[in-house]
Amino acid sequence: MRTLRPAETRCALRAIAFALLLGAELGNACAQGDAKRGQYLAKAGGCLACHTEDGKDAAPFAGGRALKTPFGTFYGPNITPHPQAGIGRWAEADFVRAMRLGVRPDGAHYFPAFPYPSFTKIADADLRDLWAFLRSLPPSPRANHAHELRFPFGWRLLVAPWKWLFFRPGPFAIDPGRSAVLNRGAYLVEALGHCGECHTPRNFLGAPKRGRLLAGARSGPDGKSVPNLTPAKLKKWDDGELKDFLQTGMTPDGDVAAETMGEVVRNTTGQLTPDDLAALIAYLRSLPPLPDEPR
Amino acid sequence: MNRKLLAAALALALGAGFTLNAAAQAKPEVLVKQRQAAMTLQGKYFGPLSGMAQGKVPYDASTVARNAEYLHALSHMPWDGFNPSTSGVKSQALPAIYKDTAKFKEAQDRLTGAVDKLVAASKGGNEAAVKAAIADVGKSCGNCHENFREKQ
Repeated sequence: MRTLRPAETRCALRAIAFALLLGAELGNACAQGDAKRGQYLAKAGGCLACHTEDGKDAAPFAGGRALKTPFGTFYGPNITPHPQAGIGRWAEADFVRAMRLGVRPDGAHYFPAFPYPSFTKIADADLRDLWAFLRSLPPSPRANHAHELRFPFGWRLLVAPWKWLFFRPGPFAIDPGRSAVLNRGAYLVEALGHCGECHTPRNFLGAPKRGRLLAGARSGPDGKSVPNLTPAKLKKWDDGELKDFLQTGMTPDGDVAAETMGEVVRNTTGQLTPDDLAALIAYLRSLPPLPDEPR
Repeated sequence: MNRKLLAAALALALGAGFTLNAAAQAKPEVLVKQRQAAMTLQGKYFGPLSGMAQGKVPYDASTVARNAEYLHALSHMPWDGFNPSTSGVKSQALPAIYKDTAKFKEAQDRLTGAVDKLVAASKGGNEAAVKAAIADVGKSCGNCHENFREKQ
């Protein structure tokens, strides 16, 4: 059970007052998310990349991107509010359950290619704003592409024991032992940004190795190597260089990041507010330094 | 006399042949160094343009035009340095370069094509078009690094 924050308490009180006064609708305005804030959160969450097809004219958030993994190829679904092709029939509670618990409205489990092990940590208020943003998108009729998974990984029931073993649902817990900036950075990296989904190596069952948090992987998505983000590696860059890289995708000497990260820079890190970017960098600096995986 | 002339001609031919041969088969270490130099210089002349496209550096059409010309030449230079003989030399070049040669060539062409467009745009004077062309060059760099360079 979670205690109500002051804002929520105010909201609840106002809702009661409204209900008493009007005897009708429960103060919907209060409980409704802020689509504009949600748009920023969707950038910080990097939703666009997996939920949009490659190509210049692709409809944003209408799905289609292929994600190759050792278990097969996943295709990001349409998350625009189209009633048939997208998630137009969902209620907010369906969205919250998908993000927090990794289950579909019909109760089936999502494959963890959808990074709910990270998204479960997103705060309630942020989920509400994200939902408000998704509802504001133009509906696209683009049909979803079925995943192409290797036997037996296409069997969704297998996800249940996987979740039992590796998935710990629940929102991000603020660590009172560290500063507000580090907590914000940790939230951006671990919850919204889901950086560890690529930058933390996985075991043979596709679960992140907890002891190797953000320490890079020799074989990440598409079988390509992924750099180490702990201070063991990042110390070669100062904060200004790191900030420039995360805003532009380029190092001070004019080197250009590979396109997977280039896209993350364009869609996510380059869109963060200066405060959020500084918090993200501060958090990476605070990680335990881990050497690269041996070759 | 004739024999001497023949010997001289033979020596000359051999010598010339030897020199040509040496040029064609530079030592792998040298090839790596040269192609890395070409890459470094591309970074040098592309960096400021990328800054301009993203609004981090004030836009300057004459710098764009000059650097675009430099890049036009540089963007052709690294590729003959990716000779299979260099695969044993330590670098960030991935083996895919020599396995998937068609795709590697495609990535090169994408870069040189994007630079051609940048050169053309820089002669136009439409700032928005130039910035879009710069962004496309950046993406073609990243596209090739994605598949053919070890992540750092």
